[in-house]
Amino acid sequence: MKKLTLILSAFLGLGMNLTFAQAPKGNILIKNATVLTVTQGTQENADVLVQDGLIKQIGKNLNAPAGVETIDATGKFLMPGIIDAHSHVALDVVNEGTSPITSEVRMKDMVNPYEIGIYRALAGGVTVSHAMHGSANVIGGQNATLKHRWGSSNPADIIMQDAPRTIKFALGENPTRVHGRGNGIQPRTRMGVEAVIRNGFNEAIQYKKAWEAYNAGKAQKGNTLTPPAYNERLQTLVDILDGKIIVHCHSYRADEIYMMINVFRDFGIKKLVFQHTNEGFKVAPEIAEYTMGASVFADWWAYKMEVYYSTAFNAAILQKNGVITSINSDSAELIRHLYHEAAKTQRYGGLTDEEALAMITINPAKQLGLDSKIGSIEVGKQADLVIFDHHPLSVYAVPQMTFVDGVKYFDIQKDKDDQRQIVSATEMVEPVYLRNAEEDDHRCMQDLDAYYEAFQGAFMGHKH
Amino acid sequence: MKKQILKAGLLGLLVAGFITQASWAQSDPTGKRRVTGTYAITNATLFSAPGQAGVKGTVLIKDGVIQGAGSGVQIPKEAQIIAGDSLFIYPGFIDGAGNMGVTRPKDPERPKDMVNSNPPDEIAGITPWRSVTDQYSSNASQVEDWRKAGFTMSQILPEGGMIPGKAAIMVLGDPQSTNLLQLNTALAANFRGSRGMYPATAVGVMAKFRDVYQNSSYALEHEKLFASTTGVSRPQTTPTESGMAAVVQKQIPVIFSVTNDLEIRRAISLQKELGFKLVLTGLEYYEPVIDLIKSSNVPVLIKLSIPDDKALKAQKEEGVPEATKAQYARVKEAYDQALKQASLLEKAGIPFAFSTIDAKAGDAHKALKAMVENGLSEKAALAALTTNPASILGINRVAGTLEKGKMANMVILTDSLFKEGAQVKHVIADGFVFDYEIKKKAAASNGKSENGGTVKIEGTWEYTSETPAGSNGGEIILKKEGSEYSGSITYDDPSGSGKISSPIKNVSFSGNRLSFDFNVAAEGMNLTVNISGDVNGSSMEGTMSVAQFGSFPIKAKLASPSLND
Repeated sequence: MKKLTLILSAFLGLGMNLTFAQAPKGNILIKNATVLTVTQGTQENADVLVQDGLIKQIGKNLNAPAGVETIDATGKFLMPGIIDAHSHVALDVVNEGTSPITSEVRMKDMVNPYEIGIYRALAGGVTVSHAMHGSANVIGGQNATLKHRWGSSNPADIIMQDAPRTIKFALGENPTRVHGRGNGIQPRTRMGVEAVIRNGFNEAIQYKKAWEAYNAGKAQKGNTLTPPAYNERLQTLVDILDGKIIVHCHSYRADEIYMMINVFRDFGIKKLVFQHTNEGFKVAPEIAEYTMGASVFADWWAYKMEVYYSTAFNAAILQKNGVITSINSDSAELIRHLYHEAAKTQRYGGLTDEEALAMITINPAKQLGLDSKIGSIEVGKQADLVIFDHHPLSVYAVPQMTFVDGVKYFDIQKDKDDQRQIVSATEMVEPVYLRNAEEDDHRCMQDLDAYYEAFQGAFMGHKH
Repeated sequence: MKKQILKAGLLGLLVAGFITQASWAQSDPTGKRRVTGTYAITNATLFSAPGQAGVKGTVLIKDGVIQGAGSGVQIPKEAQIIAGDSLFIYPGFIDGAGNMGVTRPKDPERPKDMVNSNPPDEIAGITPWRSVTDQYSSNASQVEDWRKAGFTMSQILPEGGMIPGKAAIMVLGDPQSTNLLQLNTALAANFRGSRGMYPATAVGVMAKFRDVYQNSSYALEHEKLFASTTGVSRPQTTPTESGMAAVVQKQIPVIFSVTNDLEIRRAISLQKELGFKLVLTGLEYYEPVIDLIKSSNVPVLIKLSIPDDKALKAQKEEGVPEATKAQYARVKEAYDQALKQASLLEKAGIPFAFSTIDAKAGDAHKALKAMVENGLSEKAALAALTTNPASILGINRVAGTLEKGKMANMVILTDSLFKEGAQVKHVIADGFVFDYEIKKKAAASNGKSENGGTVKIEGTWEYTSETPAGSNGGEIILKKEGSEYSGSITYDDPSGSGKISSPIKNVSFSGNRLSFDFNVAAEGMNLTVNISGDVNGSSMEGTMSVAQFGSFPIKAKLASPSLND
């Protein structure tokens, strides 16, 4: 039987490397670290043994099996790989912003394993990111969950193949601006956003019925039923209704968050995570009761009208109300220091170390449907790990090594100046000079800005 | 016997266009009709197929068909003799995918009630029912340019959006003939979104492609059921679905335009998911996916050009920090590796061919030589120009080699193909002979004329050029600083009236040959225009070329300082 499969795959599946890429898995023993398991407390001077990409053993005085490399982490801190529940790193296209519903588009089609942002994220201890469609549409595209296996040229290698399907929804100003104000179609208002979602799901129910009727009838003798129009957009909404996809919904205001909870309750959909959720603190008990939680910024707001009513206590308030809460980046810069972002919940809200670390590990893992596989240091989980020189919630913390499935992809000792995987043969290189503060701030030129402005105004047709 | 008749019938069809003309030489008021369709190129060196050594022999062609190639060929009386004693004959080159002579059709008018989120297929660039033959003109200047480079056939792709339409194989023969060899040979596709409407991006294009494909296949199912069963509702097959039928039934391949490895992977993943036949074209950067190309068994057409070396030339020798030097080295490495790519395909045993899209005909031989200098064997290079495209296009019965019975397509050079200084003297396409002027070897040193004197080109030149849009003209100002030339050019403003000026760059002057580039901004595009020509005293004749639009004749005269001053 096995032989047959092999022969068949040789004939049929010549392109197997595309769909069934075998991700590299490592074996390693990390010795003498302060192990922050996140879910099972902290173990001082403990060892973690990784075999075949999985955490095999946690304890003291473990011995490395033959051929397994040992890393001495004396005085250092080991934590689970950081998970960013909201990112757009490594995507060639983020928004197909031309239609209020684009549930048929797949971010997996657009993964770019060469993007330097992956390496920078690894240097910040982030091993998994949720590469999302943008927020232009009410129902955006299907997202990809990435494992940061830097160095591969094959997108399939960095897509976490065993992650559940997720999709982006967006409420409020973005979809109403793009489609309503920009194109003169629904939704123009928050009411329109709700209508788009409800109409979408109602159409999906009709679609599902039409296919069920066709599939039941087509094998019957004398069948006259013809295949309904195929529509992956509606099929994806059917999959949401059937609980096969986790919805990650961009949201800011409490009223629209509560609206969304009600819409999903009406349609019996349970897999819902709110993204941004700046006013989540106002509806924390409702989010806790009906959803898979909220993924928020530590302290980022006021970039548009709907994001003014915000507080840095948001994450802590949500957490204290029992909401599964994560802190995300949504940015190629913030993704490099999510451990700092998590630490802000201690300054604003006094969360414990474990609660704060959970915001960037086990909690986002739960929101991505991955808490049985990643998000904590537990025997049997995938060995996504980071070694820090200080406690990761300390302002002095700097990641030293980052592992995905037990394979080291970042090592601060071996950090080259130029980490790009590919270089264009036709792109010019301009020399980059670091700013020389002394030269730039020559005293003889001090306070001349006003003079230059006047000069420009008079002679260079300055128009402001 | 039956088969032979069929064969003869087919070849007859191919050449019917001029059999009638040649056999009944009636009065010809135009005076253009040729005297005979029979030619013999005698005593030339023949390279009949890739890998075969050159042998002395004669090629006899009649009415577009090779009657014999080699020694002992009987020359009939009506044959026009071309003395081939110092000439080298190769099978005519075949372009796997081109857009020479193809003009983008006008966008249809948008309906008043159109919604950008759901535009009609035709407006969204989904027009699989279109045929490239409706967009083709055989007397376009690009066709002439590519023929001059040795190309005798091209599978031309239609212009348009994500699914612009069907390709066709054309012979680059006499512009008066129909020149069509095969219609609807493949369906063209690419990842270009439509501007401001669905699908606007590559991710939308991939989703829409799946949608179009699946619905086309359901439409066929519906038609089948309607044909076999009573009581079935009428199929409402759309033009898109009918246009896709040949693809869904795997009668013709999808020819996907892809430039880099990620796009190659995207096209192959669509193909694996949906199951259509696939050909990839336009490949530029593909080194990381050579194994995938091999294992997927997908035919590939690489771009017949080499990367621009302007980034290398811009690297400064001095005054740059170490970090920048390290980056320079990586660009250099990437450039060298890019030149080696074709040879890596050969090593992997992939029988690739070329695409001329986005390549310049005038630089084609230079690009080929660069690939050969970087490890591609001459045999593989010639195969990529002849036998490989013939088998990818399924026309190796009639094209690809110099053999009796094949179409009379060949390129005749002054030296063997990959030798420095080899020039195309004649191209025979579809049995029509095209003659080209052979330039005398230019003196090696910069700016020296043949008699040893120095040619001065500094000054103001007045030029005129003939383009399909009419006659254009302006001034070229050339200055010399040290051994470098610089200057500017004026031309008609493409987006209005009056003249505008652009700086010129990459000026080279060698022998009598002057060449330079300048940039023109037109309709949001930045086009690089190349002017090159031969300077003779105070006048210059040459061509003005733009990669996507072909080349046009240009004449210039040195206005000041005038030689009379």
